[in-house]
Amino acid sequence: MAFISSGYDPNEPMKNRITDIGPRHYEDFYPPVIAKNKGKWLYHEILEPGVLVHVAESGDEVYTVRVGGARLMSVTHIREICDIADKYCGGHVRWTTRNNIEFMVDSKDKVAPLKADLASRKFDGGSFKFPIGGTGAGITNIVHTQGWIHCHTPATDASGPVKACMDELFADFQSMRMPAQVRVSLACCLNMCGAVHCSDIAILGYHRKPPMLDHEYLDKMCEIPLAIAACPTAAIKPAKVEINGQKLNTVSINNSRCMFCGNCYTMCPALPLADKEGDGIVIMAGGKVSNRISAPKFSKVVVAFLPNEPPRWPSTTDTIKKIVEAYAAGANKYERLGEWAERIGWERFFERCDLPFTHHLIDDFRDPAYFTWRQTTQFKF
Amino acid sequence: MDEVEARKTIVATLEGKKGKSKFYLKDFYAMFPEEKPRTIKNIVNKMVGEGTLEYWSSGSTTLIGLKGVGKQAGAEHED
Amino acid sequence: MAKHETPMLDQLESGPWPSFVSDIKQEIAHRKANPNNVELQIPAEVPEDILGVLELSFKHGRTHWKHGGIVGVFGYGGGVIGRYCDQPEMFPGVAHFHTIRVNQPAGKFYSTEFLRKLCDLWEFRGSGITNMHGSTGDIVFLGTHTKQLEEIFFELTHNLNQDLGGSGSNLRTPSDCIGQARCEYACYDTQALCHALTNEYQDELHRPAFPYKFKFKFDGCPNCCVASIARADMSFVGTWRDDIKIDQEAVKAYIGGEIAPNAGAHSGRDWGPFDIQKEVIGLCPTGCMWMEGDKLMIDNRECTRCMHCINVMPRALRIGDDRGLSILVGAKAPILDGAQMGSLLVPFIKAEDPYDEIKEVIEKVWDWWMEEGKNRERLGELIKRQGFQRLLEMTEIEPTPQHVKEPRSNPYIFWKEEEVEGGWQRDVNKFREDHKR
Repeated sequence: MAFISSGYDPNEPMKNRITDIGPRHYEDFYPPVIAKNKGKWLYHEILEPGVLVHVAESGDEVYTVRVGGARLMSVTHIREICDIADKYCGGHVRWTTRNNIEFMVDSKDKVAPLKADLASRKFDGGSFKFPIGGTGAGITNIVHTQGWIHCHTPATDASGPVKACMDELFADFQSMRMPAQVRVSLACCLNMCGAVHCSDIAILGYHRKPPMLDHEYLDKMCEIPLAIAACPTAAIKPAKVEINGQKLNTVSINNSRCMFCGNCYTMCPALPLADKEGDGIVIMAGGKVSNRISAPKFSKVVVAFLPNEPPRWPSTTDTIKKIVEAYAAGANKYERLGEWAERIGWERFFERCDLPFTHHLIDDFRDPAYFTWRQTTQFKF
Repeated sequence: MDEVEARKTIVATLEGKKGKSKFYLKDFYAMFPEEKPRTIKNIVNKMVGEGTLEYWSSGSTTLIGLKGVGKQAGAEHED
Repeated sequence: MAKHETPMLDQLESGPWPSFVSDIKQEIAHRKANPNNVELQIPAEVPEDILGVLELSFKHGRTHWKHGGIVGVFGYGGGVIGRYCDQPEMFPGVAHFHTIRVNQPAGKFYSTEFLRKLCDLWEFRGSGITNMHGSTGDIVFLGTHTKQLEEIFFELTHNLNQDLGGSGSNLRTPSDCIGQARCEYACYDTQALCHALTNEYQDELHRPAFPYKFKFKFDGCPNCCVASIARADMSFVGTWRDDIKIDQEAVKAYIGGEIAPNAGAHSGRDWGPFDIQKEVIGLCPTGCMWMEGDKLMIDNRECTRCMHCINVMPRALRIGDDRGLSILVGAKAPILDGAQMGSLLVPFIKAEDPYDEIKEVIEKVWDWWMEEGKNRERLGELIKRQGFQRLLEMTEIEPTPQHVKEPRSNPYIFWKEEEVEGGWQRDVNKFREDHKR
C-alpha cells in the first residue's frame, strides 16, 4: 500500500489549486427525455406502487421505477446501481430527497424487464437490494441522520432503527392503502441535523443524563471558556476542584438546567453525556411540510421516552405500528396524520393509538408552552 | 482600512487572550467596530489562506484561531 | 473469518428492507478480494472496523466517535467533518476517520460515468462507504484518513470538476426538488436557481461568513417536497398569481371515473367512487370552488394555491402561467428556542436568470444578520429577537397583510418618536399652565 500522490504538493498547497468551482452542472446528467421535455410536462400517474409515468406536451413519456435504498451505501452497491442504469436507462439514474433511487425509461415496454431485474436482486443476507415502492398514499423511505455509525453526540443509532422500522412498515412501502402519504423521519439527537420536526412520525434520539465531569483532564483537554459558551442554557460555570492535593481548573454544571444537547461535549471532550440507560427515543407525530389543505405543522411529542433496544428496537417499531394502524383506520381520504389528530382531538388520538398520556407531554419550555394548553371548555370525555 | 494594520491588530488581539484560542467571527468584528462585517470576514479568511489563522469546525459552527494554538491542536497525534 | 464478531448487527441482515449491514459486508469482501488491484490508500479492513465500532455501540448503547475540529482542506472552512474513534487500538483502521461532503448536482440526477468515477476515487482513497445522500443533500464520503483529505480534494477538483459542500458557519449546500425536470407542478426552474445561487455564493459556502449555519432550499410548488419551509433559513417556494387552468373535459373524466384521482395515489384501498364535491370542493380551504352544471368553477382571486385540487386532478387542473416564487425566511429545527417554520417575506418574485432581484433580497438579509446576529443565532431567532418589522425595514419591503396570519392582539406598539406628531419633547411648564400641580 504505497502512498500515491494525486499531484497535490503539501509544501505548496496553493500550487495548481482549483477552488470554488461548485457542483457539476445538472444538465450534464439529464436523461435525453428529461432534457427534451423539461418544463413541458402535462401530467403524471402512479401506475402501481413504485411506478410512475409522466407525460409531456410533446407526447413523450418517461416511466420511473422508484426503489428504496439505505442511505448508508457502499461503492459496490452504487456500482450495481450504475450497472442497472447502464443496462436499462441509458446510463442515467437519480436519487430523491428521501433516499430513494429512481430508474427512468422512455417507453412502457422497458418497464417490465427493469422491474423484474430490480425485484430479483437480493443481498446475501436475504434482504432486497432494490425494493420497488415509496409512492403515493403509502409509507416511503425514512430520512435520517448518522447515528452511531459516525456521529459524536447521538442518543440512538440511525441506520439500525431505520432498518428495523422499514422491515415492519415494508408492506406499506409497497402499497398505497394509507389515507395520505406518511413521512417518517429520524434524527439521532435533539440538534436534528435531519429536520424531523415536521414529519408525520418522527423518531428522535434523546439523552436524559447531564454530562459527566472528567475533572482531572478537563483543563488539559478543553478550553474552559469555550465549554461555557457552548451551553445554550448557561448551565455551565467555571469551578475549581482539588484532586490529590492539586488545585485544578474545571467547570460545574447546573444539572437542572441541562437540556441534554451535547453541545458542550462537542467543544470539550471531557464532558461526555452518552449513557446506555439514559439515552433513548422520543416519538413525535402529526407534522407536515406541505401547504396542501392546511398549513405546515410541527410534530408533537406523543411518547416521551422509549429505551434503545438494539438491534431491532421493538418498543419503537411497535409504537410506530400502532400509530400507523390507528391512522389508517380512522383518517379520511387525503387527511394527513396531524390533520386527523386535530379533527378527532388529541385526547382521542391517545385513545385510538393506545398510548399513555404523561406529564412529560405537556409543554413547559419557555413562552410557547402556554399556547399548547387548553383554553376552552370544549374537549371530549 | 489599512489591511496590514488590521492583520497586526488581529494577531495581537488573539495573542493577548489567555485560556482561549478559538473565536467566533463576531469577535473579529468587535476588534473593528467601524468596519463592515464583510470586510473583516474577507481579511480573516485571507489570513487563513495565508496560514496565519486556522478554522476549527464543530460541524455546525466555525471558530477561528491562530494556527497551531490551543489545547486540541495535535491532540490526536495523527501527523 | 470476520475480523470482528458482529452478532447484533447480523440480526439486521434479515427482513425485506435493504440491509446496510449486508451492504457493508459486501464491501468488506470486495476490498479483501480487490479484483481490480486498486492500490488502496487506506487499509482494506476499514469497513470491517466500521462494523466493529458499530457493533460495540450496539452493545454499549453509546457512540464511540469523538469530534475533531481542525481537519479540513486548506483554505476551506467547510466540507470536512473531523472524526476520531475512541477505541483506536481496537479499530486502528478508523482511528481517524473524517467525513467529506461533496456538493451534489441540483436535482440529484447522475450519469453512471460520473458516479463510477466518484466510486473509483472513494474506493482508492477512502472507506468505500457513502451516504447517498446526507440530510442537507450532499453526497457524503463516510470516512477517510487525514492524509487523504487534500488528495481527494485535488482529484475531485482536477479530475471530476467537482467541489465540496458546506458545513460550519457557512452557507450550507443548497438543495432542490426535481422541479421542472419531471414535475408538472413546478412553478420555476428549481435546478437552475439552486445551481446559480450555489455558484454565485461559493465564497460563503466554503469560508465562514455568518454567525451560524445558513440554508437555502428550493421547492417548485407549495407541496414542498424538499421541506424548505421547515428547515431552510431562506426557502424559495414556487407559486403563481393568475388563474388555475381548467380542462373541463378532464374534469368530466374524473367525475365519470375514467381517470383515477390523485394520479392513482390511493389505489391500494377501495375508497368508493370519486366524489368531486366531497373530495375536492368540500376540502378546498377557502371554499372558492363550485360546480355550475358539469363545469368546475374557481374563484381564483380567493384561491390560496394550496395545491389540493391540482394534486387530486392533475390532468384537469394546472398551475397558472404567471409564475414565480415566494420567499420565506427563518425556518429551523427546535434547538434552541423551539422550532420555527419559515415566515413569508416576499409574497411573489419572478425567478428569471440572472436572478438579480432575488440576490438583492438575500444580500440585504445577510448584511443585517452578519451585523446583528449573535454567535450561533439562526436568522429565525434574530427575526424573533428584533422583530419582523425590523426584517422588513432592513430588506426595504413594504408591510402587507400577506405578511401576517393575523394582526397583533396586544396594543403595545413601540411607537417611534418620529411616528408621533410633534415628537416627544414637550414643555412641562406649558402643560402646567392648564393643569395645576
